[in-house]
Amino acid sequence: MPPNQVTPVTEVPRWRSLLANQLTVLVVILVVLMVLLGNHNSRFFTSSEMSFLLADFSGLVLVAVAETFVIISGGIDLSVGSVMAVSGVLAARAMQPLINSHTNEAVVLILGTLVALAAGALAGAINATLIVGFNVVPFVATLAMWYGGQGLALVWTGGQPYGLNPGAQTWSAQTIPGLPFVSWLSLIVIAITVVLGLVLRKARYGRYTFAIGSNNFAARAAGIGVKRYVGSFYILSGALAGLTGMFFDIRLGSGAPTTGQTTTLIAIAAVVIGGTSLFGGSGTYIGTVLGAAILIVVQDGAIFVNVSANWVPVVVASVVAVASIIQSGRLRLRRRS
Amino acid sequence: MSDTPILELRHVSKSYGSVKALTDVSLKAYAGEIIGLVGDNGAGKSSMIKTISGVYTPDEGEILVDGTPRHWRSPHDAIAAGIETLYQDSGLAPDLTIGSNIFLGRELRRRSLLGRLGFLDQRSMESQAMQELEKVGISIGAAKRTVSELSGGQRQAVAIGRAAMWAKHVIILDEPTNHLGARQSIEVLKVMKAARDRGLCVLFISHTLPHVLEVTDRIIVLRLGRIVRDAPTSEFTVESLLGTITGLSQ
Repeated sequence: MPPNQVTPVTEVPRWRSLLANQLTVLVVILVVLMVLLGNHNSRFFTSSEMSFLLADFSGLVLVAVAETFVIISGGIDLSVGSVMAVSGVLAARAMQPLINSHTNEAVVLILGTLVALAAGALAGAINATLIVGFNVVPFVATLAMWYGGQGLALVWTGGQPYGLNPGAQTWSAQTIPGLPFVSWLSLIVIAITVVLGLVLRKARYGRYTFAIGSNNFAARAAGIGVKRYVGSFYILSGALAGLTGMFFDIRLGSGAPTTGQTTTLIAIAAVVIGGTSLFGGSGTYIGTVLGAAILIVVQDGAIFVNVSANWVPVVVASVVAVASIIQSGRLRLRRRS
Repeated sequence: MSDTPILELRHVSKSYGSVKALTDVSLKAYAGEIIGLVGDNGAGKSSMIKTISGVYTPDEGEILVDGTPRHWRSPHDAIAAGIETLYQDSGLAPDLTIGSNIFLGRELRRRSLLGRLGFLDQRSMESQAMQELEKVGISIGAAKRTVSELSGGQRQAVAIGRAAMWAKHVIILDEPTNHLGARQSIEVLKVMKAARDRGLCVLFISHTLPHVLEVTDRIIVLRLGRIVRDAPTSEFTVESLLGTITGLSQ
C-alpha cells in the first residue's frame, strides 16, 4: 500500500444518496406541484398558461443566476430589484420619444437594451466600488443601493410608469414557430442562463467564484486577483438586473418604478432553495434554476387555483420555508454519510 | 549537490519602526536539503519567511536565488522565481476538488476555441494532479473528491504536495504540522522528505522540536532577530536545541 493512502469513500445507501442529491429533491417537488395543478384543472397545461409561466420565470431566472455567482463568492446582492426598476425606467425614457417617430423597432429595442444594461452595470459598479474599494460589507452596500434605487426610480418617473406604446408588448408575445409557448424573449433569457451556467461550472471565472467563496485567503495566495473578481460579480449582477428591467419594459409595455419590488428576496430564496450555501463556496446554477421554477409555479399556481392575491405571498413564503427545511435536512444527511 | 546556494540571504535586516525584526541575517540554502528554522515567538521566523517570499522588502541586504540577486515587489515575483510558500492555515479551498486546488491559479484550459474563452480542461488537471501527488508520496483515491472530505493530515499533505509540485527551487512551510495528530504529522513529514528527494530545498518552520530533529538536515536557530546557530541536525538534541532557542545554554 502506498504511503499516505487516503481512506476510500464508504458506500452510501442508494436511497440516501438519491435523497441527498438536491436535484432529485427539486425535480420531484417541481413535478409534484405541476401534477397537482394539472389534476386540479387540466387547463394548467394549455399553451397560454405555460407561456405565462415561462414569461414569469424569465423575469426571475437571470437575476437569480447572477445572485448565485454573488452568493457562491461569499457575498450577497440585495439591490437587484431596485436596479431592475431604475434600469427599466431609464430604458423606457430613452425609447419613448423614438417609438412614434418611425424609427426601426429593432433599433429602438437595441437602444433600450443598451441603456438598461449600462444603467444596471453602473449600479453594480457602484456596489463593487463600495465593497472592494471601501470594504463596506456587501449586505450594507447593496442594501443602500436597493433603497436609493427605489427612490431614484420614483424621482425619474414622478411615480407614473413610462408608457411605451401598446405595440411594445407584441414584441415579446411573438412565439417561435414550432414551439407553442416559447417567446423569442424567453429564448434569449434561457440562452443567457445556459451560458452563465456553463461559465459557472466549466470555466475559470466560475472556478474562481467558488474558490473565493470557499477560502478567500487561499485564492489570494494562489495569485487570483480576488478584488477584481469580487467587483465583477456585482457588476454582472447589476448588468443582468438591468437586462431584466428591459425585459419587463417589453413585457408590460412600460417602464414602471414599482418593477422588481419583491424580486430581490424571491431571487435569493430561489438560490437558497436550489441548495447554494449562504456562507459561500458551494452551490449549483441548476439548483437555482429549479428553485426559481418552483417559486414561479407556486406563485402562478396559487393564482391559478384562485387563491386571493393577498394570500399568494403567504403561500410562496410557506413553500420557501418548507423547501429550506428539506434542504437543511439534506445537508445533514450528506454530512452523516 | 551544486556549490551555488539555491537561496542565499546576505546581511538582511528588517525593522518595523523602532522594532528590529531581523538583524544582519545571512544564510545559504542548497537544493536537496531540509532546513529547520526554529526560534521562540518574536525571534524573527515570520519576518524571515515573509522577506524570502516577497511579502516584505528587506531594509538592508540582498536575496539571491541560484546565485542571482533578486528583488521582490510582491509575492508573485517570488513565486515566479520558483519559491512557494505555505502559510499557516492558508491551506486550500475546502469546497473545491483536490485537482482544482492543485491547479488553483494555474488552471489548464481546453485546447480549443472554448479554451480561449476560459473553459477548463478538468480531466487533464485531475489526472495530472494524481500523478504529481503520487510523485511526492501522496496517493489519493480520486482527484475528484473535494478537500472537505479529507482529514487534516491529508489536507496538509495535499497542500504541501501542491507547493512541491509548483516550486522550482524552494518551498517554505510555516508550521505545517500544527493542529495535527501524531499519525497525520508523520504523513506530512514524509511528503517533505519526498520533496527534498526531488531536489527541492525545504524551509521548515516549526515549534515541534521532535519533528524538526526527525526530518531536517540542518537547523538554523533565530533569537531576537539574529541567527545564533546554524549547524547540522546531528549536532542537536531536544534539550540542546531548546537551550539554544531560549538562550539559556549554547
